Amino acid sequence: MVELEGYVVVPLRTTPKAQHCHSIYMREHFIRLMDPNKPKGRTLFLLNVPPYVTEDSLRTVFGRAGSIEAVEFAAKPGKEETIKWYEGTGEPFSNTRPPFVFKVAYIVFEKNSSIGKALALKSIDLFNSSGECIVKTGMELWHEEYDCNYLLDAQKTKLQISKYMAGYDKRERAAAQAAKTGEADADGWVTVGKEGRNAGFEQKASVIGRLEEKVAKGNKTKELKNFYTFQIRESKMQNIVEMRKKFEEEKRKIGLLKQSRRFKPF
Amino acid sequence: MRFVQGNIMPGKLVGSPKGAARTGTQAIAHAGDHSDLDEPKPKIAKSDPPSTAIPKKNNFKQREGTKNVKPPTLEEMKELRDTQNLFHSNLFKLQVKEMLEELQLKQKYTDFIENWLESFTAFTRQLKDGLMERTHLEVPMKLSEKPTGFVFSKPTREPYLIGAAATGTLLGPKIVVDVALEMPKESLHKEDYLNLRYDQKRALYLTYVTERMMESPDYAEDQFNFNYYANNPLKPVLELIPVTKQVNKHLQVRLFITAPLSSFKPGRFVPWNNNIRPSFYGDEWDEKDPLPSTQHYNANVLFDLTLSENQAQLDKAFKSRRNFQDGLLLLKVWLRQRQLDIGYSGFGAHILAAFIVYLNTQRILHQSSSSYQVARTVWNQLANTDWTKGISLSVAPIQTEELNKFAEHYDVCFIDFTGQHNLCANIPLYLYQRVREEAKLAVELLNDMKLNSFPLIFMQKCPLYSRVDNILKISNYSCINQMLTLHSHPRIKYDFANYGYPQLLHLLTELLKKGLAERVHSILPLETATAAWPVEKKAPVIGKYIQLGLILQPEHAYQVLNKGPAANDDHEGAEEFRRFWGEKSNLRRFQDGSITEAVVWGTAQDSPAKKRLIVRQIVLHLLEHHLQLDSKEVQYIGGELDQVYQLSPWFKVNKLKTKLPLGQDTDAEALSPHVIRCYDELARQLHGLNDLPLEIVSISGVSPIFRYCEPQPVLPQALLVENRILASSIQRVVIQLGQSGKWPTELGALRALKTAFLIEIGEKLEAQCRLHWVMSADGLLVLKQGYCFLIELAHNKELALLKQEVTERGITTYIDNAASRSLERQHYILPKVSGALHSLHQTYSAFGSTVLLAKRWLATQLLDDGLWPDMATELLVAHLFQQRYAPQSIAAPQTGFIRFLQLLSHSDFNGELFLLNFNNSWQEQQIADLEHNYRSNRQSYPPLAVATSYDMQHAGRLWTSDQSPSQRVLGHVTRLARHALEIIETSLMSKDLRFVRPAQLFRASNEGYDLVIQFKPDLVPNSLSYDLGSPFVSFSQPNFSLPRAGSDYIARIVGLLRSAYSDFAAFFYNPHGGKELGIVWRPPTEFAAKPFKVTELQACSPCGNKKVQVLKETLLEDFKLLLKDFYLRIATPEELKREQREHQKPMRYFDANKAEEESKPKPKKHRQRKGTGKKALPKRKRLIKSSTLKVLK
Repeated sequence: MVELEGYVVVPLRTTPKAQHCHSIYMREHFIRLMDPNKPKGRTLFLLNVPPYVTEDSLRTVFGRAGSIEAVEFAAKPGKEETIKWYEGTGEPFSNTRPPFVFKVAYIVFEKNSSIGKALALKSIDLFNSSGECIVKTGMELWHEEYDCNYLLDAQKTKLQISKYMAGYDKRERAAAQAAKTGEADADGWVTVGKEGRNAGFEQKASVIGRLEEKVAKGNKTKELKNFYTFQIRESKMQNIVEMRKKFEEEKRKIGLLKQSRRFKPF
Repeated sequence: MRFVQGNIMPGKLVGSPKGAARTGTQAIAHAGDHSDLDEPKPKIAKSDPPSTAIPKKNNFKQREGTKNVKPPTLEEMKELRDTQNLFHSNLFKLQVKEMLEELQLKQKYTDFIENWLESFTAFTRQLKDGLMERTHLEVPMKLSEKPTGFVFSKPTREPYLIGAAATGTLLGPKIVVDVALEMPKESLHKEDYLNLRYDQKRALYLTYVTERMMESPDYAEDQFNFNYYANNPLKPVLELIPVTKQVNKHLQVRLFITAPLSSFKPGRFVPWNNNIRPSFYGDEWDEKDPLPSTQHYNANVLFDLTLSENQAQLDKAFKSRRNFQDGLLLLKVWLRQRQLDIGYSGFGAHILAAFIVYLNTQRILHQSSSSYQVARTVWNQLANTDWTKGISLSVAPIQTEELNKFAEHYDVCFIDFTGQHNLCANIPLYLYQRVREEAKLAVELLNDMKLNSFPLIFMQKCPLYSRVDNILKISNYSCINQMLTLHSHPRIKYDFANYGYPQLLHLLTELLKKGLAERVHSILPLETATAAWPVEKKAPVIGKYIQLGLILQPEHAYQVLNKGPAANDDHEGAEEFRRFWGEKSNLRRFQDGSITEAVVWGTAQDSPAKKRLIVRQIVLHLLEHHLQLDSKEVQYIGGELDQVYQLSPWFKVNKLKTKLPLGQDTDAEALSPHVIRCYDELARQLHGLNDLPLEIVSISGVSPIFRYCEPQPVLPQALLVENRILASSIQRVVIQLGQSGKWPTELGALRALKTAFLIEIGEKLEAQCRLHWVMSADGLLVLKQGYCFLIELAHNKELALLKQEVTERGITTYIDNAASRSLERQHYILPKVSGALHSLHQTYSAFGSTVLLAKRWLATQLLDDGLWPDMATELLVAHLFQQRYAPQSIAAPQTGFIRFLQLLSHSDFNGELFLLNFNNSWQEQQIADLEHNYRSNRQSYPPLAVATSYDMQHAGRLWTSDQSPSQRVLGHVTRLARHALEIIETSLMSKDLRFVRPAQLFRASNEGYDLVIQFKPDLVPNSLSYDLGSPFVSFSQPNFSLPRAGSDYIARIVGLLRSAYSDFAAFFYNPHGGKELGIVWRPPTEFAAKPFKVTELQACSPCGNKKVQVLKETLLEDFKLLLKDFYLRIATPEELKREQREHQKPMRYFDANKAEEESKPKPKKHRQRKGTGKKALPKRKRLIKSSTLKVLK
């Protein structure tokens, strides 16, 4: 067993005779802050996972050490990193995929005892008993990708859409109903919706911006411009100051251009 | 009672803004009262002090603010006003000032020139009269008699500076100081005006002085060369390169020999006089006929005779007038950048100097004008005055009749101070017009306030060969002699003293002008200066070579018909027409009933590439018919590179099942209109669909083909097989729907509805229009007439939902992110830009084909969309066409491609933001703000920044990114472009009749790569583009099988490789059917051992001593895994080169495949359409040996 800085180092093999393998660094996952998705004592942490390693393949390999509850990836260790990794990928009818980069993995076992068995592995073998790689690559992968993910069967898709829209409509009706009742919660607060006698305005940045602008405008004192002599003098001086500033900026630009020999015509 | 008194005091204080003394007094009084109040009511006293202090603070602040602003001085006010009025902006003025500082001559050169002139003066003083004996030097002119016997007379006048050295306007980097030495009057006899005797004496005098100089110890170490001034064999000059540390060979002295104006009687060299007798060339001349005038020869002699007087006048005007000198310097830079001052026909800087004096004489230019005003006024006057009728600098006013008489003998007439010499005697009319057009453009650029015109006017190198559309080159010696002997008129022969070049220029210009008429805008001579030769060697014979540049008139150049006069109306005209055009002319009846002589050069249905060669056809025909020049004896450069976007000859068009009339010689440009017409019909059908829940507001084609920018030919060969569409390319279409309040407020639901809508469109297209369709994750694939379209839906609510974020305060905001930017670009901005580029192509028909050449070039350099975005190419070329780099727009795509290479070679990508102001919708202030933001936040912009007026808040960041192109790739492309330009320029300006072969430019170098991964040929369909070969392996059997629509597996795999491994390697492949992947490893530092860090462990293996490192062998195994089934083998470029040398024949894939795979190959699901094209001949050695790729490391 090779260890480095507290991690168990094992080769990742794609074929039985593989040479020049990647090295996977494993240890039991621990963190100061409690994360319910990565429970202490049952989570295995992997570093330097190649981009082509899939969730299924890790389940297959580490399933030998015990039943697996979940496998999750992230670009790097960190509490929010897993959420970032899967951002947008769960949306229906969208093409977003997780990044294809080297990553870290979290394997959550159902039992504590599986951690020790996993750490005892001498290698992570991504091939089956007949020596074939279980990670799909090549034409098989691309054909499957094309037939299953790129081309959509029209009828199946329509059914899928109907089902999804039914769920959406239900959620919308529930939200509308909740907005209409206006009952007080435990602390006595009442949510103000868009309907009813006491309807509130939409909480949009643009709407709020316009309201604030209106208030500011009302508070503004009405003042004549360029009426008094001192105002005229100040205005002229301001113009000159602005012109000077502009010229200074242009001189700075010339200085920048000068560095790149932009004034030698030949 | 006391309390009441206390209340009154604050009121008094507020109401008394008078003197400070009073305020002080009241304050004291107030204090006194305050002390009385302390005892009875302490609370009231506490509130007083704060209210008293506030007014004083405010007053103090105001005064402070005022003091910070310094009042402007009178000088500053004057400068501000001048800048505003003259320069439109301070920026231009500052740039001009900086350039003039760069151009100032260093003091050491000035000192050297003065010292040299002094020593030369002393040298001439000690020369003695003598008889020329046998000389070791070769007299640089053909002599009628032996040089021995020439009587040398000592010069009676001191040598003097002429030209730029005299006026103080020398221009580097190579400084040429012109010195004139005057022959004394005694050297010339009365009859020496005749038959080139003066010129021969001049040459002998020069040789004699040169020999004496070489004997002198003062010039023992200097280099002595002869050369022709302005490529004029009658004007040999001595070129002396002093060898001293002071000037280090940056300086050159040119010695001119002149003669006094009084050497011959006045009126001897007026233009209508004959000074070369026909008998001098052994010709007979009828005594009854008047002798032909020799105005050009006369002007040639007058150049010397008037030099002294003219120079004196110029000195008087320019001496100690810095503004005139700087103004002339500006004009000289402008002239040189455009190469308008080169050669026999060149518009020399001395003409501009004289013109400045002329304008000053005419009171148009004032003594106190600034250098900028000098340049601007000269440009204005050049553009608006006409010298063909003649202008004069003469002190004694010349009568109008005499001026007209003078002007009749020359194309352009500018009479000098003496009133005898035409300074523009050798300027052809077309070149003069060219100078005027450039001047007019300069004024327009200055007046455009949205533009920084300084780089365009002064910094942009604009060699003449890149401004012309076609080039004619004749360099065959015997052909030149034949033309001169058989076709040059004797009058022209005597006029130019039998110098071949101007005779050829005249002959060819007249012929082409008559034949091409309004098809050409200009016919310009392209010259290179003669190279100097050692004084001991024989002078070279020049003038047996000519090169003409043609600037086409796009509205007329490509007409397929030359129509002559009607046969019955104008019999003589028809006869003349038939005589001029020869057997090409035929009597034809036209649809309007007229019967005329006409020449047909093509058909209206010809492709644009064919029509662009009509001018070439005409020129070659005229040369053969009138001058008996065979087409293989001349070179006409017009569309040699257009081959690269032609259809591959190995693909047989007649096997296609289509009704469209397609020829085997079609190309990507000619095929685009078919796709566009099919799309137009599809759009009509979409608009016409019944019972759609929502109306279709707009339909836009966003693929490059809809703006004529698709470099690979798109043929109607897409088809349906087993409910799957097979297509080699997909054309993207974006539909925008009408407004509706019922769209979902959830992103997933909205996308679901969009998908349902697309399916409904597909079903209705099938039911109502009988079109096949398949739904895909990207959109609706529709098959129509052999083309495959991908339809996407755009709705602005989707964009809003993508941007939507809820802050902690519960406020909904809309913030850009990568997904929303990408969607906005694809669905809203790209349709507008696509439309704008389509319009640009309608305006400039060369735009699309220039983009085709540019894209083909980048693709063949193994730069795909992941390294260099295609859209960047289109926008840079559009920028080229939008900018006014030249008076005329580009008419030939080959020239456009050369300009594109120049743009890549010389642009300052760090300092320049490429702006495309479509529809002029950007205001001046918006442009200024954008450029200011660009300079202030340069780091937030990608290495190559392109912005269009439709980009809104994304300007500069939408079409390129930090990764595409990266700084490395941008530098790489720049070097590739410079190398390509070098090849083109060498080929264009040499006398060789072979232009660059497309393979020289459009095949990448095979140097600099670390590894090459070969793909299996049967899994990578060949492009339909003309195959120029691979840099790594020989030609192989082409594979024209149709892949599944939307499956571009190689591109996706390379994308994955870059995504995962770009920290360790760069990947290069040709997106146009390339079958190899080139790999360049990153620098070795990336593979060095480093300490263990949890966040920097990607691809690392332990290597002992608690360190980790990346191993290339491990990465290579990953590449194999990801490219499984696709790669044939992995090799180094050296191995491939060795194999190429050993086996000239192409490798047979079948044999190689056997060795690789033991199991049987999987059954192929695609139809194979293998062409029966010829196998390529063994390749010649590549001329390109570049190591530019190694710089990438």
